Amino acid sequence: MSQDSSFDLVICGVGGQGIVLLSNIIGRGCAKADLEARTGELHGLSQRSGTIYIHMRIGKDNLSPLIPYGEADALISLEAVEALRYLEYLKDDGVIILNKRVINPPIEVAQLSKEKRTDFIKFDEIKEKLNVITQNIAPLPALDLAKEAGNPLTENVVFIGALSALKSFPLDAEVLKESVAESVPKKALDVNLKAFDLGYKAAYDSLCQTVECVERKID
Amino acid sequence: MAKEYLVNKDPKKAFMMSNEAMVRGALEADVKVISCYPGAPTSEILDTFFLLRNEFDYKFTTATNEKVALETVAGASMSGFRALTSMKSVGLNVASDAFFSLAYTGINAGCVMIVADDPHCHSSQSEEDGRFFGPNAYIPMLEPSNPKEARKMVKTAFEISERHKSIVVIRTTTRVNHQSGIVETEALNRTPFVKAKWSEVGENYFTVGETARQNKFKLLEKVKNIQIEFEDSPFNVISEGEGDIGILTSGVGYCYAKDACKILKINPKILKIGTPFPLPEKKIADFMKGLSKVVVIEELSPYLEHNAKRIAKDFELDVTILGKDAGHFSEAMEYNVPIVVMGISSALGIKSPIDYDGILKRANDLKTILPERMPCFCAGCPHRATFWAIKQAVRGRNVVFNNDIGCYSMAFFPPLNMTMSLLCMGSSLGLSAGMSQVLEDDVMCVVGDSTFFHAALPGLVNSVYHNLNITLFVLDNEVTAMTGQQFHAGTPEDRGMPEGKKRIIIEDVCRGIGVGHVAIMDSYDVKNNVDIIKEALDFKGPSVVISRRSCALHGDRIKRRTGVPIVQNEVDKSICKKPHTCIKDFYCPSFRFDSDDRAARILPEICDGCGVCAKICPFGTIHPIGEEAPGREVKQ
Ligand SMILES: Cc1ncc(C[n+]2csc(CCOP(=O)(O)OP(=O)(O)O)c2C)c(N)n1
Repeated sequence: MSQDSSFDLVICGVGGQGIVLLSNIIGRGCAKADLEARTGELHGLSQRSGTIYIHMRIGKDNLSPLIPYGEADALISLEAVEALRYLEYLKDDGVIILNKRVINPPIEVAQLSKEKRTDFIKFDEIKEKLNVITQNIAPLPALDLAKEAGNPLTENVVFIGALSALKSFPLDAEVLKESVAESVPKKALDVNLKAFDLGYKAAYDSLCQTVECVERKID
Repeated sequence: MAKEYLVNKDPKKAFMMSNEAMVRGALEADVKVISCYPGAPTSEILDTFFLLRNEFDYKFTTATNEKVALETVAGASMSGFRALTSMKSVGLNVASDAFFSLAYTGINAGCVMIVADDPHCHSSQSEEDGRFFGPNAYIPMLEPSNPKEARKMVKTAFEISERHKSIVVIRTTTRVNHQSGIVETEALNRTPFVKAKWSEVGENYFTVGETARQNKFKLLEKVKNIQIEFEDSPFNVISEGEGDIGILTSGVGYCYAKDACKILKINPKILKIGTPFPLPEKKIADFMKGLSKVVVIEELSPYLEHNAKRIAKDFELDVTILGKDAGHFSEAMEYNVPIVVMGISSALGIKSPIDYDGILKRANDLKTILPERMPCFCAGCPHRATFWAIKQAVRGRNVVFNNDIGCYSMAFFPPLNMTMSLLCMGSSLGLSAGMSQVLEDDVMCVVGDSTFFHAALPGLVNSVYHNLNITLFVLDNEVTAMTGQQFHAGTPEDRGMPEGKKRIIIEDVCRGIGVGHVAIMDSYDVKNNVDIIKEALDFKGPSVVISRRSCALHGDRIKRRTGVPIVQNEVDKSICKKPHTCIKDFYCPSFRFDSDDRAARILPEICDGCGVCAKICPFGTIHPIGEEAPGREVKQ
């Protein structure tokens, strides 16, 4: 881990999924590891259910808060459809950690209802499109894992666990866990750490099959 | 305390958003009085001061609007206390009356305004370039490009302000406010808050007639002195380069320019302007001397560009200035690295090494299956319920619906498509005043509770005074929802407001100024509300309907705090006749239907348990989990 390890990450999802907290946890980890970092954040307005993204750039090489098209090392998508929306930022063969969860926007549901159709957009359809850019896609059943950890709201932390398995990601699991511990309420600490571990372990079943991961530390 | 990095006494490196970094800078400058009205992308400044209010002894108020906020901090500054306000670009339009006069009167203790422009209209009605307020009002401005600088500039701004007895504006853009990064803080040395006496102030602050005329001369002198100081400001930075090409830039444009040069493998000399007003003209001239071309990279208007052209002329420099006038960059929308790479390529006649259009086209071709995800009311939002009732009530009538600024603006989107106009906060009353005098239709307008106090009151008084036939809906969700559920003058007292504040009751205000017909309804009581609305529309003269229910997000927080459970609803599939009333006309994000039998289904992780869908379901199939569907009894 040095000041030179740069990593460009796009985080996206649907309002209310906790992506601001997610990026703050990573950012806090960067401060601990003495790495430079910057973000470009689209907060949207405060309503839930809209699309949101955060660009996160670790390392001192770049100043722009927004990642140029085709340069992100990884895309983590807390909702499957949203990965497609921000695909132009990912470099060829970049990593996608993709939630298996699809949240159908009301306008899609209403449109299908009116046209008497039932062909909702499906996870596999999205994945097929993403595969044009990269084979390195790790599907993550994050909501199930979060529920298993004890609280569906820890879905975001599952992703941090998964990300920490990635060898090219400049922060290791220890630092990130410390950062999680400092960012969540004390009484929610255990469920969050459990969610982290479940995400980390899940990475070895998917992500690490195609991309290089760190030596497995949590069983 | 999750935000310990703002409270720590000792210097430390921490990851924070520019909005937080600016709060830290102000705390380090020992700010004593803060007053703001929320508005993206500055709302986190207000929220952070609010969050930390018990950690420090500063005076914090959420003002009714930006003008009151600015006057509040100016009053504190005149009395000898360092003070700060923040607002979005259009907020300064509201505050500008005071702003211009305050330049003439000057201030006393350091007085800083953070004003954020919003290129791309991410959350604003217009793309304003607030830099022109500087030369127009003769008020100095600083502009940071990242969180590190944002902290430093706010802290320094207090000193500049005090030295020259002038307000100092920190001009930001959305990409700076909502940019996080590693910030090195400096020590916090707070002095205790102690009240002062006006007799110790020794200055009066007024500007009218002959005094105003004299003030103008003093103001010109003041700006000249600040300009001399800014010639050596550490915020105007030259990075040396090679060749006879230069880049003039500021704000987040600097970040894009630096990265773009790397991609283009060029190394021009760069002047980054941190003091957009007054500009360091000599420094700019010196920078341009010997260069053949200068590319100007700035979002929105060609402010630096036109100034650079003027300076080049005044200093008789033989340099070509390339930017928007020559068509290399646009005055619309925000920039990013690819836009700047392409702009520089075009200006210098070189080729971009990366085919950005190709990357975008490939991605767009893959997106043909992508559904839109437009903003919509949250699950449990009372506005959805209110609009459902309004929609039923106006059936068969000719109506005009003037919308206003708040979450309810989304009535503009499907399925409501209910907006004939939308301008700026409080404008729906003024527009309705004009329309009601010339149209035969029923004229309706809507404001939220926060907008009611912010800018709707003069319009309402006007419609009573002139007895105009207008129906005003006040959607009272207890908070300023859209910007993050801040408190306002109408928020109930038990919501944890700082002590000593009084709730102002909207219906009392309406009756007090003589509105002839005032009705109050529970937003969730959709069926009964239809008649209440019709009655108000039938009333001749100004009428007000107050639709009241907590913002769902705010309400959930209260429920969690007080241990009230949120019981989700579900659809009884066995009796669902699938008319999809709950889907087609309602757009609640918790609804979908199953592909096999087309029966509606409620996603429990999204449902807020408001039960409004149950009331509009014609067959009574929706019920709280654990209870029986009302439609079942009918069947038996
Ligand atoms: C002059 C001005 N100040 C601030 C804003 C930012 N702003 C947008 S929506 C909004 C909230 C309005 O609150 P309210 O009227 O109560 O409606 P709600 O969002 O709660 O439905 C504000 C302050 C603005 N657009 N214009």
